[in-house]
Amino acid sequence: MHLADVVFIIILLITMAGALITVLSGSIIYALMGLIATMFGIAGMYVYLNAPFIAMMQILIYVGAISILIAFAIMLAGPMFKRPKEWTKPVKFISGAIAAIVSFVLFFTVVMRTEWSGIKAAEANMTTKDIGRALFDRFMLPFELISLLIVVSIIGAIMLALYSRKEK
Amino acid sequence: MTGYIFNNLHIYLFLALFLMCCGILGIVYRRTLIAMLICVELIMNGAGLNFVAINRFLYPDRVNGQVFTLFIMGIAAAETAIALAIIILIFRRFKNIEGDRLKEMKD
Repeated sequence: MHLADVVFIIILLITMAGALITVLSGSIIYALMGLIATMFGIAGMYVYLNAPFIAMMQILIYVGAISILIAFAIMLAGPMFKRPKEWTKPVKFISGAIAAIVSFVLFFTVVMRTEWSGIKAAEANMTTKDIGRALFDRFMLPFELISLLIVVSIIGAIMLALYSRKEK
Repeated sequence: MTGYIFNNLHIYLFLALFLMCCGILGIVYRRTLIAMLICVELIMNGAGLNFVAINRFLYPDRVNGQVFTLFIMGIAAAETAIALAIIILIFRRFKNIEGDRLKEMKD
């Protein structure tokens, strides 16, 4: 077993453990920590998938922006010690587990039965330059629409905060 | 180059599937709205991983999957901002953010 494989398996285990912590932990801040671990693991996966730019964006956007946003929301939404544990009724856990297992079996079957005939040797390296060229050439309209969407959502969030304050 | 574990499409697809199942379980099981939002983020991470893996193994001479993963990140950021603003509003009004106890709307 090569060293690259060892590192890959470690990253894989970190990702899966982070996902399990996110789902099963009793405190919401631990869930956030598990989510951050998962995001770092996914960034490592992107590095293994020959996409270092996506890995950097993953760390910048998810770990740097979204998780900090969620942390602020957790801190704004009441004190920690007054909050009940995250675990709800076991009926909910069983129903959620049934839904998860059914979808797992379904998509497992789909993945296994599909003939991935087009798998290539993947020696062509797509660099960041190609991504930028595609963004400003073929994906020009979706790119601008995404920026418009983000602006609209930020303005909407600000308006929500402002109007609720005015009501008081 | 084919002997490595990480040079296999299925392991990425199964990791993404695992993340999606964890997200589904969490959305049903968790108590507060913020935790449900965190589980939605898990599902989105899995979707992005799927895009990049398919792009890497099936179409290595294009960048469409990576570009779509960037779009997914942008959409996730916008969705998180809006959802957190709404959650803070719900907390101000009802003094809790538990999904079970939100039973009335504003009249």
